[in-house]
Amino acid sequence: MSLIAEDIRVFYGRREALRGVSLRAEPGEFTAIVGPNGSGKSTLLGALTASLPYAGRVTLNGREIDGLQPWELSSERAVLPQASRLAFPFTVLEVVRLGVQAGTAGDRPEVPMQALARVGLAHYAERTFQELSGGEAQRVMLARVLAQVWSPIEDGRPRWLLLDEPVSSLDIAHQLQVMEIARDFARAGGGVIAVMHDLNLTAMFADRVAVLAEGQRLAFGTPREVFSDGILSRAYGCDLRVSAPPPVGTPYILPHAATA
Amino acid sequence: MAVITDSFIPPRDRVARARALHGLLAAALLVACALSLQIGATDVRLTTLLAKLAQGQDLSQMERVVLFDIRLPRLAMGALVGAALAVSGAVMQGLFRNPLADPGIVGVGAGAGLGAILAIVLGGLLPLSLAGLVGPYLVPIAAFLGGWGGTLLLYKVATRHGRTSVATMLLAGIALAALAGALSGVMVYIADDNQLRDLTFWGLGSLAGASWAKVLAAGPLVMLALAASLTLGRGLNGLALGEATAAHIGIDVQRMKSIAILTVAGATGAAVAVAGGIGFIGIVVPHLLRLASGPDHRTLLPNAALLGATLLILADVIARVVIAPAELPIGIVTAVLGAPVFLWILLKRRGMVDL
Repeated sequence: MSLIAEDIRVFYGRREALRGVSLRAEPGEFTAIVGPNGSGKSTLLGALTASLPYAGRVTLNGREIDGLQPWELSSERAVLPQASRLAFPFTVLEVVRLGVQAGTAGDRPEVPMQALARVGLAHYAERTFQELSGGEAQRVMLARVLAQVWSPIEDGRPRWLLLDEPVSSLDIAHQLQVMEIARDFARAGGGVIAVMHDLNLTAMFADRVAVLAEGQRLAFGTPREVFSDGILSRAYGCDLRVSAPPPVGTPYILPHAATA
Repeated sequence: MAVITDSFIPPRDRVARARALHGLLAAALLVACALSLQIGATDVRLTTLLAKLAQGQDLSQMERVVLFDIRLPRLAMGALVGAALAVSGAVMQGLFRNPLADPGIVGVGAGAGLGAILAIVLGGLLPLSLAGLVGPYLVPIAAFLGGWGGTLLLYKVATRHGRTSVATMLLAGIALAALAGALSGVMVYIADDNQLRDLTFWGLGSLAGASWAKVLAAGPLVMLALAASLTLGRGLNGLALGEATAAHIGIDVQRMKSIAILTVAGATGAAVAVAGGIGFIGIVVPHLLRLASGPDHRTLLPNAALLGATLLILADVIARVVIAPAELPIGIVTAVLGAPVFLWILLKRRGMVDL
């Protein structure tokens, strides 16, 4: 009951964006994917969600996703895209309802409002989605995704959240809120995979981190294992220093003195 | 734990409003039907006929002909064409993710028109056995194929990675319409006198040529398209979030898009085949309904069928009354009423990035 990617290769035209990346994410854990721009993070997430053609194998809860129908996939995992545009003036509540799957744990009338309350936007239920700010829209989309996989475990099978830069347009309070929601989902038995830019938030919340660079996996392990001066500086191509200040001992990443 | 706490507010339900609207629109359609039977060039009146029937009197031969052979088929055709155009518009707007898409504007109607003209002019060249087989359905089927080709081509040209460029869509529509117009011109050139008369009547965009034969020819295709549209509600709602997200919430996007394109082609094709080009119903009806009860396609599509039928029947009544005893082509009425509404939508959306 894991999410396993084996030797994933993705081509954009003749450019090989992913060059044989493998990854194993376990339920109950928050797995982060980090790396510089263009390293293949979102491409990897695209392969994990079957959104783009890839070579290799992706297995979700023991079934290869290649052979699954959209509705079979959607009942086991929900996907938060980087940015969302909505074509028609749906209300916030209607948007959250769009994610609800018939016959799943979330298929109860109160779930969409509870999902909105979870992201702190229940009082926006009747607003038009298009009136929202970027950060609010992002949180509404998170509520939609939560409503889709409302129980982290259903019938003994874990549900999965796949998040593409979930905190990119949020202020610091809401970054923490969203990271806590994702971590709580994992603590309750679900699986979370998130593409992340903020290394310090990643160090605080992730159980496991994959570091990508130039379409390859540079490192995979706990934040303490992979967040070292050497690995990060090599991945990002600049001088980064990692410290682990007491009492928590969470790795903390700082850019070193700028080049002369 | 959570940074921001929140209180529960029970939401007002637009779904309930849409259902209430459903009943209201059904009633409006009945009123429009009664009006359409009541008003006409002769002084045959629905009310006097009902009174006659109530007293057990028979209808005169003329009353019979006016009611059952002239007004009733015209009413049925108006209802079919109006419902078909409104639903085509709503489906197309959902498919293109844009409230300005309309079969009449973006060239699908032109494709269907070309199909119809080809069938009228070249239909005689078909082998006799095949002609006997398709019979009165030849023109609607050809219009359907033309509309289908037009919609497919337009979608391929204007959509990249699930996003439709409105500029590309409109320009491609202009090119398609120009091409269809040119080919239609060639057909007019080689048509014989009888065919030319058929073409002229057809091209007026009118319900004046209504007959039971035409109702039977267009009816099955329109009914099929309307039934298919009822399966598209959740899919088109999901598509509003973009193709990728629609797939992630469990929608078979490719299948849904194929059904949507066939629906538009079938409904537009049938409508154009029997009534020519009637504009603006497809854009005005869904827009009014979105204002009244929101954009949920599960209620929008059936309500569009009802309101489209009602408005077209009323437009036909207006077309018959304003310059009586002559009558206006109905396309003129819908354009006069619809074009200002279209401009109003444009003005309201002018500030938005998407346009």
